[in-house]
Amino acid sequence: MKRTLCRVFSAVSLLGLPALAGAAETSVDSTTILRIEQRDNGSQKDTFLPATEFLSLDATRLADGNLSFHFYGWGRVDLIDKSFNDDRAAGSLTYGYLKYRFKQANADIRLGRQFIHDGINNEQVDGVSAHSDLPYGFGISAFGGANVHTARIFGENSDGKGDGIAGGRINYRLGGMLELGASGVYESKAPTLQQHTSGNHRLIGGDVWFSPHKVLEVMGHTTYNTETSHVAEHSYLINIKPVQHLVLTGEFNEQNDRSYQYSWAMFSGTALHATPNGPLVDAGDTSRNYGGRASYQIAKLVEISGDYKHYKRVAGNANRYGGDLKMGFFDNMLRAGGSYHYLDAGPGFAITPNPSGSYHEMRAWGMFDSKSFTGAVDFIDYLFKERVFNEKQAWEVLGSLGYHLTPQLFLSGDVSYGRNPDFSEETRGLVRLTYNTTFSTAGGKK
Amino acid sequence: MTTMKALCAALALAAGALTIAACAQMKALPSLPESHPEALAVGQQVDCSECHEDQQKGTLKNINAFSHSRAFVKNHRFYAATDARLCETCHKVSFCADCHTNQVEMKPSVKWGNRPDREMPHRGDYLTMHKIEGKVDPASCYRCHGRGNNERCVACHK
Ligand code: HEC
Ligand code: HEC
Ligand code: HEC
Ligand code: HEC
Ligand code: HEC
Repeated sequence: MKRTLCRVFSAVSLLGLPALAGAAETSVDSTTILRIEQRDNGSQKDTFLPATEFLSLDATRLADGNLSFHFYGWGRVDLIDKSFNDDRAAGSLTYGYLKYRFKQANADIRLGRQFIHDGINNEQVDGVSAHSDLPYGFGISAFGGANVHTARIFGENSDGKGDGIAGGRINYRLGGMLELGASGVYESKAPTLQQHTSGNHRLIGGDVWFSPHKVLEVMGHTTYNTETSHVAEHSYLINIKPVQHLVLTGEFNEQNDRSYQYSWAMFSGTALHATPNGPLVDAGDTSRNYGGRASYQIAKLVEISGDYKHYKRVAGNANRYGGDLKMGFFDNMLRAGGSYHYLDAGPGFAITPNPSGSYHEMRAWGMFDSKSFTGAVDFIDYLFKERVFNEKQAWEVLGSLGYHLTPQLFLSGDVSYGRNPDFSEETRGLVRLTYNTTFSTAGGKK
Repeated sequence: MTTMKALCAALALAAGALTIAACAQMKALPSLPESHPEALAVGQQVDCSECHEDQQKGTLKNINAFSHSRAFVKNHRFYAATDARLCETCHKVSFCADCHTNQVEMKPSVKWGNRPDREMPHRGDYLTMHKIEGKVDPASCYRCHGRGNNERCVACHK
């Protein structure tokens, strides 16, 4: 134990000198995007010229080989008009943390800004997290620190989130057959808001994964809001794989609106909750949806899928059904796909003051991807059952061309044009310069 | 102050986990590799069964359960909730952060306009469509815009 801790601390103290680390490996991904956007809403024509840089850095095998550093963030400057809210320049640190990985038991500790996806917990914290498998199939993890605050809600001086947050999960696995987990999150007191309501973010829950045979898998979670003393969400998925390459899924989700959205301060005053009294008053409303999907891989590079979902809310019922097709040719150098979906939704889901929220969604795309050139076209159309602001549809077409200047350096440009009810015309041009020290985005060296 | 308390509680828990982790038994428990030993081709369904038998090592789930069928991609949240460490063997966190983030000003489908084969959310004119979708299934929006990434929304949702 002592030795481990010493190792961690000496490792951390070495951070300032990553160059000293023997076999350290660093990879940098940078994407620079210059956009030219023109929006014409009939009465006014706006042009925007924002330049955005996304930068990620991963330095692995630092210190004794088990320490790594991960960073990702972006920054934007507007070369002419303000493109986004009120600032001509903006940026954000998405994450930046040190990770120490142990050789056994999948154990690790992370320190810094990080995302937590663990059981029922999905958070972003400035703090610390740790995980380890334990003997006899058990496992434990915990996190804590400061909440990462986001946008201030209009008219308030906070985003409605408390400052401190902590949580964790314990789990039990039985071979490759069963996993049971119990997790919880506790946030310090949410600030009192003037015009919005915001509850404390405190949940506990259990998750399950059960696969008695490889053809059947059941998984999901239930969360309970300790502030409202009510179940917040049930969310379950069943997978059946009767033959290879065929997956049949069934999904069931149910939220108690008030308990699930209890700490969604920004939307606490809206029709979201479909009650005139606001979300924190009416306790009874539930939203439920269930549906299924069948996806079948006809050949190595050809997959079709069909899906259906039924939604039930206080505002009414809705149904969505449709299908997708995705194909690859010539060793996947050429790819194409298309989809069609119909949402059948009544007045409760319509854009005010429409009598219907129903629409058809149609998409077709194709792309070419070789070692030197890339090209893509993408067409999407939403066809409304009832005109929205006098427009029958919202469509957009995009074309993209790219060239690998070197294996690491990729230059591409997109042009898109669309017509829609919001901006009657929207034209966008984009130049993208990508620099990757690692070529493949997944697997191996990642 | 409360932040400090939360931090202390987490540190105590972390220390607890480490103490347990230090015990001799733990040496016998295998870890996933730091990164997946084989680089995979981008832009196609990842079929784990191409290279993996239905092996089950220790408490590892059947590897083929993670084959990236369309159903998997659509429902990946169920898998990420319990096996985030497995995802990390192939995916950098920045891969997830294209769609999952606290704050960004560009739709994933714009950033990746050159990759129409990806499952990016909000293609096309989402400012219009979200007024319908947000009423049909607000919980699905809460997953990404509930506790973060809502700077854009403030402009209209007051
Ligand atoms: C192109 C072939 C290939 C594909 C496809 C592939 N793998 Fe692997 N994988 C390997 C090789 C090679 C190894 C190293 C040898 C081994 O441990 O089996 C490996 C090792 C692993 C390990 C470590 C096993 C251990 O016990 O240490 C895991 C976990 C894993 N792969 C998961 C996956 C998952 C999940 C998928 C699908 C999303 C996948 N792999 C797809 C080739 C592949
Ligand atoms: C063995 C390697 C491997 C593992 C393990 C793995 N993935 Fe993937 N995943 C890939 C590859 C390769 C792609 C394709 C990336 C591309 O086309 O750019 C991908 C794509 C995806 C996509 C995006 C699909 C799209 O169309 O945009 C999601 C979402 C995803 N993976 C989630 C996960 C999650 C969640 C886990 C853990 C439960 C996981 N993956 C584990 C290799 C892996
Ligand atoms: C192409 C976009 C995309 C990528 C890349 C992506 N996700 Fe997701 N993710 C989504 C969407 C869309 C949802 C919401 C799905 C729903 O409502 O069922 C989601 C939901 C989730 C959730 C549930 C969140 C909650 O609060 O309930 C988790 C956890 C998650 N994803 C983890 C990951 C991880 C880990 C990765 C990287 C391996 C990843 N995702 C990559 C699009 C993406
Ligand atoms: C997987 C995460 C994810 C989910 C789930 C998700 N969004 Fe988003 N959304 C994003 C990201 C990332 C952006 C880009 C951020 C931006 O432009 O400010 C975005 C942007 C938006 C925008 C701005 C679009 C534009 O053209 O500028 C709206 C409106 C929106 N989302 C609404 C919704 C609604 C309503 C839902 C639920 C039906 C939803 N989102 C679900 C990730 C998500
Ligand atoms: C350009 C202005 C604008 C922006 C930006 C915007 N919204 Fe909306 N949104 C609206 C309008 C207007 C409605 C109501 C439509 C109606 O009832 O006709 C709406 C409706 C909704 C609804 C349906 C429930 C309700 O309150 O009516 C949700 C959920 C929602 N928006 C989420 C988001 C999220 C999340 C974002 C940020 C990612 C966002 N919106 C950004 C204008 C906007």
